[in-house]
Parts: sequence; C-alpha cells; structure tokens
Amino acid sequence: MSSRFVYVTYIRTTPAKLWEALTKPEFTRQYWYGLHQESDWQVGSSWRLIFPDGRVGDTGEVLEIEAEKRLVIKWRNEFMPEAKAEGFTRCTFEITAHGDVTELRVVHEIDLDRSKMIETVSNGWPKVLSELKSFLETGKPLNLETGYRSKVGEPARV
Amino acid sequence: MSSRFVYVTYIRTTPAKLWDALTKPEFTRQWWHGMHHESDWQVGSTWRMMFPEDLVHHGQKVNGRVCDTGEILAIEPPTRLVLKWRNEFRADLKAEGYTRCTFEIVAHGEVAELKVTHEIDLDHSKFIEGASNAWPEVLSNLKSLLETGKPLNIDVAHQQPVEVGERARVA
Repeated sequence: MSSRFVYVTYIRTTPAKLWEALTKPEFTRQYWYGLHQESDWQVGSSWRLIFPDGRVGDTGEVLEIEAEKRLVIKWRNEFMPEAKAEGFTRCTFEITAHGDVTELRVVHEIDLDRSKMIETVSNGWPKVLSELKSFLETGKPLNLETGYRSKVGEPARV
Repeated sequence: MSSRFVYVTYIRTTPAKLWDALTKPEFTRQWWHGMHHESDWQVGSTWRMMFPEDLVHHGQKVNGRVCDTGEILAIEPPTRLVLKWRNEFRADLKAEGYTRCTFEIVAHGEVAELKVTHEIDLDHSKFIEGASNAWPEVLSNLKSLLETGKPLNIDVAHQQPVEVGERARVA
C-alpha cells in the first residue's frame, strides 16, 4: 500500500555545493523554475515551497537534516486539490561523494497506492534534477519551464 | 508479473547528437565505461554490447568479450530504439532470458528528453534490479558528456577496471 518514486543522478560537484543548491533560495530559484524553499532548516521546523509570485506550492516540515548528507521533508501539495487530499508525502534527499562526483538520490513516497501526488512528482523530478545537474556542471539551467508548467498545471491559476 | 525500470533525463543537445551518442561506438565508449554496441542497426539485426577491449576481469584480459546480446526490435532515428536484450556474462541474469529496452527521444526546444524503459515479464528480476543501479550512472555520464564535453569520472567505476563486471554482480 504505497507509491514511491526514486531518482538517482550523479553530478560533477561537491556535497557542499549540492547542499547549497538544494537549500539556499538564491541557488534554488535558478534551476527550479524560480521556486524556492522557505525554512530555517531545523528538525521540526516548517518547510514551504514558494512559487516566484509568492504563492505557496507545498508545505510541510523538516523531519531530518544532516547538512551535505541527508534531508527528509514531510511534504504536502497545496495547489492541486486531488494531491492535497492525499495528505503528507515524505521526500528524502541523500548525498554521497564519489571523488569529484556527487551522487544525489531522491526518494518521494507516500503510504497510499496509486498516489496522484507521486505520479505528478514522477514527471516533475526528472526535469528539476536535470536542471540542477546542468546548473551545477555548466552554470546554466535548461529552461524547461514551459513544458513543466503545461504538464503540472499552471500554478498561478490555482 | 513484470519488472520495469524507467529513467528520464533532459539534456541540452539535439536529438541527432543524442542518437549518435547512443549508437556510435566512438561516442558510446566515452560515457558507457568503455563499452560499445555492435549492430548494423536494422530491424531484426543482431545487437551486442561489448566490454572494453582493455578490460581486466579477475586478473584476465577479456578482449572482445560479449556483455549482452539481442536484436533490434524497432528503430526510428533519431527518436526511438527498442532492443531485445539478454545478459551473457552472469548465469543467473542470463537465465532470466530476454529483457526489452526502449529508448525514446523527444525534442523540447534546445533540450532533448531521453526516456529509457528497461523491462521484463518476470517479477523481481535481478537483471532489472542491476539495470536500475547502472542506468542512472551511465545516463548521468551521457548528459555530462553532451553538455560539458567530458563524462563524469566516477570513482566507483574507474578505480577498479573490473567494475563493469563486478557492478552487475553486486547489483
């Protein structure tokens, strides 16, 4: 009784830079279609994913955090009624260094069969994480924003 | 009754360049741990994945050793390739028989989307489990090569030349 999305990518960067790209708004905005995360990054602190226009895309809580290695977020969508109704998902980021390459593993899951939210993030994560890898390795993201919006839905209207 | 691995990556390149990187030995060797495909790329033709010429496995050179074999089930450059694919160097994987691997390429402006689906009509397939570990690394190399001109130098793969064989054994 669960839905689970797993994605692993290897990036030519350091765990420290990857961690910054994942958690600091000024970096996150550059590859995540202008979105950024809002949190003080302490266990138990609230966590929000904010659209460029200030609206809240997702909310939750920091469940675990170990800088440069591991981040677990309790994560609920706020702008797609069907996904929001499913309640909280759990998203785990794991970072492992392999020489000058860093492995990032993202697991997004919920204790629910055929979750709409996990289906949605299964389309979204490969795009965002491809953007992240390009951003860290080449200095610029892919700018897939148009395609992303058309699939996920235009957040501005919800 | 099936096992399935799906991986999607977006690469700043053209479908034509991505197709070349996927099918031409001189490109494939650069991002696939020195391995290359051997095929004339026609429907019904045989397909083989060859280990690198200089690979040392358990202290022995394995020149020209065949890693996987199969057949071209569908080919439509530069958008779609379907391979019938069986492992040849691990008895337990070979015993599972043929898997099917589909490569789909879609252009999105200056970015090309690559979707790799590797599947078999068998539950809990060890082959698909191994492929699930291998594809993310290989496809990360491919993206880096096409976007930056050089593949990743992942320690786990390059410190030990036996890794291509061992990797699958562990995974």
